[in-house]
Amino acid sequence: MQTLHQSQLLQNPAEAANNQSESDAPPKQVAQAMERLNQAARVIADIRLGADRILEAMFVASQPRHTDMPLQLFLREDASMRQHLQDLRLIGKKLEESGVLTESLRSRSNSWGLHMPLVCPDGAVVAYAWKRQLAGQAGASAVDRTRLALKAFTDQKRRFFPHIDDGLKMEPSSKKHRASHLLLENGREEPVDYKTLPDIQSRLEKLVPSVKVSTYGRLNWLKRANSLPGSGSDDPTEASKPIFQSSSKLRSGLQTEVVDKIAVIELSFPSLFRAIVSLSPAGSVDPDAVAFFSPDEGGSYLHARGFSVYHVYKHITEHAATALQYFLGFGTGTALYSLLLWICSFESVFSKPCTYADSP
Amino acid sequence: MLKDQANQLEFPRDFLGISLADQPNKYYFIIRTQRIVLEADSSIQLIMEKLQSYKSKVALYFDGFQYQLGDFRLRVGKVVPTHSENVRGIVMEVEYLPISSMEKAQKVMEEFLEIWNEALAKRSLPGKFVNIDLNFGEFGLGDIYTPQHTAVRYALVMAHMIATVQAVRG
Repeated sequence: MQTLHQSQLLQNPAEAANNQSESDAPPKQVAQAMERLNQAARVIADIRLGADRILEAMFVASQPRHTDMPLQLFLREDASMRQHLQDLRLIGKKLEESGVLTESLRSRSNSWGLHMPLVCPDGAVVAYAWKRQLAGQAGASAVDRTRLALKAFTDQKRRFFPHIDDGLKMEPSSKKHRASHLLLENGREEPVDYKTLPDIQSRLEKLVPSVKVSTYGRLNWLKRANSLPGSGSDDPTEASKPIFQSSSKLRSGLQTEVVDKIAVIELSFPSLFRAIVSLSPAGSVDPDAVAFFSPDEGGSYLHARGFSVYHVYKHITEHAATALQYFLGFGTGTALYSLLLWICSFESVFSKPCTYADSP
Repeated sequence: MLKDQANQLEFPRDFLGISLADQPNKYYFIIRTQRIVLEADSSIQLIMEKLQSYKSKVALYFDGFQYQLGDFRLRVGKVVPTHSENVRGIVMEVEYLPISSMEKAQKVMEEFLEIWNEALAKRSLPGKFVNIDLNFGEFGLGDIYTPQHTAVRYALVMAHMIATVQAVRG
């Protein structure tokens, strides 16, 4: 019968696997791991079918009949289920040993820089392909691996955030009213043609004189974030000297930054907040994340997907994520400009009273 | 937190010395009449003891608890002279942590104090919290809040405390 046949098949590779030593080359280990994952998926499907059959047998048994057919069904399904579960346990053990469910392969020395396929908690399998590496070709395959990883991430993104690509219709909140108001006012002045980053930047600086807009490539932004004074430093005179030096270095470096490498936009309102917007892909005008921070915060956690240590900026960041989806939902390519204007409307966050809260 | 008063012949006869719990390496000198605040290393106290040119007249301790309410940090403590158990008063520090500009945080602080006073009013406690406004500019301090601002504030509080003590005695 089908079920018995399958379990026999599974036992043989299990035995064979026991004989293989760990001196297998990593590509073979990865191939084995992928195969075992597929086997596990098949066994799980069998278990599901077996469970259905058992339920069916129970249903049949509940009908008044005078045969012992249900009993035979039960015994058969019970045996095959036990076998399936046993097989699954075996495969699971093998996978664990080979480091698929944990990340132990990475700690082994001779792994050629390859990674075992990872099983995520939700069941998705992330497999990294590889190329054979000879000395000197490591760089090329790293690029390929990165490209494959990006593809894997994009697939995950499409799977878990399907609405991002389709555009999201959201209810506008009070702050968005303010920003769209601002947009309408300015739209009447000139035709909105802010498709390039320099245009957007100069327009914004004219509209909102108190904001400081700076653009960075990703690596430069990381350097800047790390050079900002952290919230621990209390003495502004001491802290200002190193920033001054490094920011002037960065400024001269920034002038040579090519427009198509710009991936991070920093909007800074002195003494109020610092907003970070990230662009994806670099050089485009498509924002994909935004976060707010205190002007006194510094460190590598300051980026468009990071969170401030202060509640007020955490809340604003959450609102900003919603606003970003709202602006992207229009699909007209004006999302960045709208988002930046919306961010600037927070200039009065500490001075204007909230008009939509219930008064105590 | 300590406060000293000292005597000296030609120049201002007394100054206030303050050490803050969250700045263990620093010691602050304040001469209110001249609007001077100075931040020094805490080892200056040792030097002064060795010089023997200053004597401590009065020392007050501000001792209490620190609380975090969202982005606000509260310190509430009682004021006690060193060799006595009498509580001279209660001091509360309120700090809004996200921003350092006093001007920008003013509205937020005012709202907090409104809520605080409302909550206290329902409890019918004896006494009232009084916020004394201070012109930091006279001390050469700017809008960005620093430990020196804190030291100046405490100097003012101490002066008030001493004045009330003397009024009670005299």
